[in-house]
Amino acid sequence: MSYFAEKQPLVADIFSRYPDSPQGRRSALMPLLREVQDAEGFVSESRMAEIAALCGTTATEVRSVISFYSTYHTLPTGKYHLQVCSTLMCALAGSDELWDHLVETLDVQPGEVSADGRFSVQKVECLGSCGTAPMMQINDDGYYENVGPSKCARILQSLRQDLQPLPDNPVPVTVGADGRQVLATGQAIGSSVTGLHRLPEQAGGEA
Amino acid sequence: MTATAPTPPKPITSAKDPRFAPTLYAHVGQAESWTLPYYRRNGGYEPVKRAFAMGPDAVIEEVKKSGLRGRGGAGFATGLKWSFMPLKDGKPHYIICNADESEPGSFKDRYLLSEDPHQLIEGMIIAGYAMRASVGYIYIRGEYVHAAERMWAAIHEAREAGLLGQNILGSGFDFQLYVHRGAGAYICGEETALMNSLEGLRANPRLKPPFPAAAGLYGLPTTINNVETFCAATQILRYGADWHAGMGTEKSKGMKLFQISGPVARPGVYELPLGTTFRELIYDWAGGPLEEMKAIIPGGSSCPMLPWTDSILDTPMDYESVAAAGSMLGTGGVTLIPKADCIVNATWNLVRFYGHESCGKCTPCREGISSWMTRMYQKLVTGRGQPGDVQLILDMSDNIGGRSFCALADACLGPVLSSIKHFREEYDALAGTQQPLYPARKRWKDA
Ligand SMILES: Cc1cc2nc3c(=O)[nH]c(=O)nc-3n(C[C@H](O)[C@H](O)[C@H](O)COP(=O)(O)O)c2cc1C
Ligand code: SF4
Ligand code: FES
Repeated sequence: MSYFAEKQPLVADIFSRYPDSPQGRRSALMPLLREVQDAEGFVSESRMAEIAALCGTTATEVRSVISFYSTYHTLPTGKYHLQVCSTLMCALAGSDELWDHLVETLDVQPGEVSADGRFSVQKVECLGSCGTAPMMQINDDGYYENVGPSKCARILQSLRQDLQPLPDNPVPVTVGADGRQVLATGQAIGSSVTGLHRLPEQAGGEA
Repeated sequence: MTATAPTPPKPITSAKDPRFAPTLYAHVGQAESWTLPYYRRNGGYEPVKRAFAMGPDAVIEEVKKSGLRGRGGAGFATGLKWSFMPLKDGKPHYIICNADESEPGSFKDRYLLSEDPHQLIEGMIIAGYAMRASVGYIYIRGEYVHAAERMWAAIHEAREAGLLGQNILGSGFDFQLYVHRGAGAYICGEETALMNSLEGLRANPRLKPPFPAAAGLYGLPTTINNVETFCAATQILRYGADWHAGMGTEKSKGMKLFQISGPVARPGVYELPLGTTFRELIYDWAGGPLEEMKAIIPGGSSCPMLPWTDSILDTPMDYESVAAAGSMLGTGGVTLIPKADCIVNATWNLVRFYGHESCGKCTPCREGISSWMTRMYQKLVTGRGQPGDVQLILDMSDNIGGRSFCALADACLGPVLSSIKHFREEYDALAGTQQPLYPARKRWKDA
């Protein structure tokens, strides 16, 4: 069964982002892979062939691209694929222990799926969330940040009941309501954007 | 200068200066900050009108005058880079936003993308107009799912409002913008590897020259800038080149997003003028370290680490001063390493990172880092070190440094060589007695 046959508008939308040329067609490769993986959880051999045909290349080429990146899967993962950041800033906050804890309590090694089909684990590199270490991503759904032992236990307990907690997005709010930055002491200091001078031509006649 | 000439105001080099106001992050964390109505209410899409009124060449001049330098790590002068684009070659031009943000210790772009996407879109319209580009791509690392969704939504809003597409705001300028998501590979941050990735290929770097401004994406003139660089361009067009140049030092001008991670009271992102000291960032803004420290990585993991001393803490964070202190400002991602942690183990973590992220194209990096360097560190940290191992690492570094195809291999040598230079005794202990000076300890705890 073809995945994209019924999805012509989507395919057309993806191709429209790139030039109408053989090189441009090839650019659609990554978005098409993402599409399949989001829907099916992994990219099978037959999907590789289908994407290759759409992009004007071979299935071997597609596999070669897949193997270059860390977020594509060629085998099914668990229902919850836990990607634990293992790079230095997270390691300084105990990500090694978090990892050991997950592997032990879930009884699953990288590349495997737990017996109940629910969990798989992967060590990943810095996810750009070092200020809220340690952290992990679940599936493609978002970041779980500041994952200490209690929070980890709460997350696992929910997942075991197939209730995935909402991901975090703690934004580093450094600017207070008055538009000034707040020191560690809590004191707002400096100026605010509204206090910045306007350019002469802007200060003048603009609506 | 005559005696009556007014003395120019002293440049702003502290965020505590009453004249300083955050602009890049002014709206990060505010409700609905990512929507077009919010952005417009706060003066959004006025800078681009100013750009259209000035004309493309004047925009490049304005950016040159502002002193803005690339915020992706290398600090190359942005206006100069923009002026490399051919003017009348009749070919399509591209601009690309590098939102791959994968350098460990860096996490500033993520919040710009998800909390203030219109600031980036506006910066890219301005840059596209200045460089005569008709299409822009925002290459977002694959893991930033939320950021990519916010970015797409903002692009659709901008299209509906006539801010992208044909004849933008009646200027006669046509420009379209797309998001392209990566899939997890640090090397995609390297600009030529990024272009290969965008073309659906394996992301191996390309030989330079030709430089992207001559032959980049699809072989056509292309300019790549970091997220923060484009956002700074928006602010420069809003407040003017002189405002921007009034912050920072002689050669490092403007504001910068600094990130701080490791055991400090308030890790996070702080917008400070260049030339602010490490001490101000670490103590006044981030609330100070939570334990005794020994090393500081000043700008992302590839920047050589520096010892925790008063003179380093009092060093201004600008490109020149940090270079003079023996490191690099990089992405402005500051990480503190506690005294009680083994520096060899910390460095091993980064060597493992670079070994994993090596693209495998060239031998010094593929064999030298992914294989040999990795094994040497593994040997040391697992208690199998031998006398002579440290010298061997130094010899290997000699054969890798400057001999690899792109900057990734040299980036790995940043932490390796600096940790040996400043903390040699920790290496010697592992090589001599097979025991670390600072044994492993528990670090995982509730926030
Ligand atoms: C291995 C490697 C990784 C890089 N990663 C990034 C990155 O994640 N984000 C970024 O903006 N620049 C990164 N760069 C720098 C880019 O190649 C390029 O210099 C930069 O995007 C230019 O933008 P700027 O002038 O605005 O700084 C990386 C460079 C190398 C060698
Ligand atoms: S230095 Fe490393 S990352 Fe760069 S081209 Fe060589 S193998 Fe690839
Ligand atoms: S090191 Fe884990 S998010 Fe950066």
